[in-house]
Amino acid sequence: MIEVHDLTKRYGSHLAVDAISFEAHPGEVVGLLGPNGAGKTTTMRILTGFMPPTGGTARIAGYDVMADSLEVRRRVGYLPERVPVYPDMTVSGYITFWAKLRGVTRPRAQVDTVLERVNLTDRRNTLIRNLSKGLRQRLGLAQALVHNPEVVILDEPTIGIDPQQVIEVRESVRELGKNHTVLFSTHILSEAEQVCDRVVIINKGRIIAQGTPQTLRAQLQPGVALYVEIGGLGKEAAARLLREIPGIESVERQGDGFAVRAGGDVRPALSDAVLHTGCRLLELRPVAMTLEDIFLDLVGREN
Amino acid sequence: MLRGVGTVFEREVGQYFASPAAYLIAFALLLLTGLMFNSDLTFSVTQKAADPALIPSFLSFAMVFFAPLLTMRMLAEESREGTLELLLTAPVSDTAVVLGKFLSAWFYYSLLLLITLIYQVILAAITQPDLGHAICAYIGIWLYGGATLAVGLLFSSLTENQIVAAFLSMSALLLLWLSDLAGEIIANLDLARLIRQLSLQGHYTTSFAVGIVRAEDVAFYAGIMAVMLFITVRIVESHRWR
Ligand SMILES: Nc1ncnc2c1ncn2[C@@H]1O[C@H](COP(=O)(O)OP(=O)(O)OP(=O)(O)O)[C@@H](O)[C@H]1O
Ligand SMILES: [Mg+2]
Repeated sequence: MIEVHDLTKRYGSHLAVDAISFEAHPGEVVGLLGPNGAGKTTTMRILTGFMPPTGGTARIAGYDVMADSLEVRRRVGYLPERVPVYPDMTVSGYITFWAKLRGVTRPRAQVDTVLERVNLTDRRNTLIRNLSKGLRQRLGLAQALVHNPEVVILDEPTIGIDPQQVIEVRESVRELGKNHTVLFSTHILSEAEQVCDRVVIINKGRIIAQGTPQTLRAQLQPGVALYVEIGGLGKEAAARLLREIPGIESVERQGDGFAVRAGGDVRPALSDAVLHTGCRLLELRPVAMTLEDIFLDLVGREN
Repeated sequence: MLRGVGTVFEREVGQYFASPAAYLIAFALLLLTGLMFNSDLTFSVTQKAADPALIPSFLSFAMVFFAPLLTMRMLAEESREGTLELLLTAPVSDTAVVLGKFLSAWFYYSLLLLITLIYQVILAAITQPDLGHAICAYIGIWLYGGATLAVGLLFSSLTENQIVAAFLSMSALLLLWLSDLAGEIIANLDLARLIRQLSLQGHYTTSFAVGIVRAEDVAFYAGIMAVMLFITVRIVESHRWR
């Protein structure tokens, strides 16, 4: 549905997007994850036909974003980062405008449906200037969905709204995945993990990893991580003891115990070694590395 | 193309009718023309015949200030609020967006012009005005107004700030207006003629205002509109490259 190949965008001499390639299949929710300035918005602006790329290709539903821009724009719903509104229009007037502009055949019925869908029906005659930020976000979503596009592109839709609304927006994004292909961007890792079928991690315009949250974790987590707490031994001595166990790669202090990384399963060797010294093994548990750790790790390595 | 123009046109006209500023502009315009008309009528009782081109001729000056006020919002606000990004990702051409906006401004102006026709009706009720002359003048000022609005729209596309847009287009229109006066005081005849050829005023005062419709003047205003709108479309397009 979305095919991006070697996409590149330069602003003057600044390389904002550097030869990125990824795909989104029909019905998939793909997350574009990256810190500020990673190039998320730039990528989305190219995909929506707002700006041309400097190099590479991008296709939506088989149409090239440059050559068949109008066909692409017909099939895409876009919610920019800062929800753009006309403050002096009413909610239904605003949605009707976008419906008509995008050639919806029965605008009135479609506007009713979409307002129902984002739960704004009781505000349909409210002036937009009087809407709260959370409601504006929903209005922006309604605007992006009113022409029932195949592809929905949402640029950081959970920014600046309260936690309750964040949960609602995440749920609606998941929900959207049932009928649309969704590309959404975020810099919150847990969000990408929760919402996306696939995550594309970008930093400084380059893709540093992509895959399902599970495969990313499996792929990138080097070896096994364990948390170990030992009773009856000084911190220094305990660390020394752990380091000497074959297979253990790193030992770091963490709270009262240690975070240990190993190439394979070292639990038997570890417990033997500890018990052998006559000390007590107070805690031994595997630590699942979150996407957050992976991300910070990757971005840190890049920088 | 038509759908885009129509939808944008409809929204912008709605915006005029929902906006206090637009009513204020209409009020000011009608108040000024009303005062002018009243004093001219008083004069006409004793000193001279009423001038059928009075209101249009006044508007030829007033539009230097009113056209920027009517158009300053149109593109500056879109780019400031970020709605331009949505407009430019809608399946309509940039030309359709610009054209829809221009036509709505021209339409609103035409409505104001229609209201001032009341003065002609009053005049017709009490004297026997030269109707042909008045119609010519109105056609002229209608085209003239379109040209000034196109200039205003161009400046609105150049900046995100409405006030800056209004100020720049007033300056530009004032220059175009003054160039007519400059044409009158320059000794070199050819140069003077050239300058008057290029001034907005020059194509109105010597033809429409005295009751003549000349093809070249109509073409001049149509040309100004076309050129201004063409440049505006290019500027709007350039947002894609920034
Ligand atoms: N119009 C522009 N002109 C010049 N440079 C730009 C422009 N837009 C973005 N950039 C630069 O390109 C890089 C990528 O910007 P982009 O807005 O795509 O990042 P982002 O991932 O959306 O970041 P954020 O999380 O802050 O929204 C940044 O370094 C930014 O400064
Ligand atoms: Mg961004």
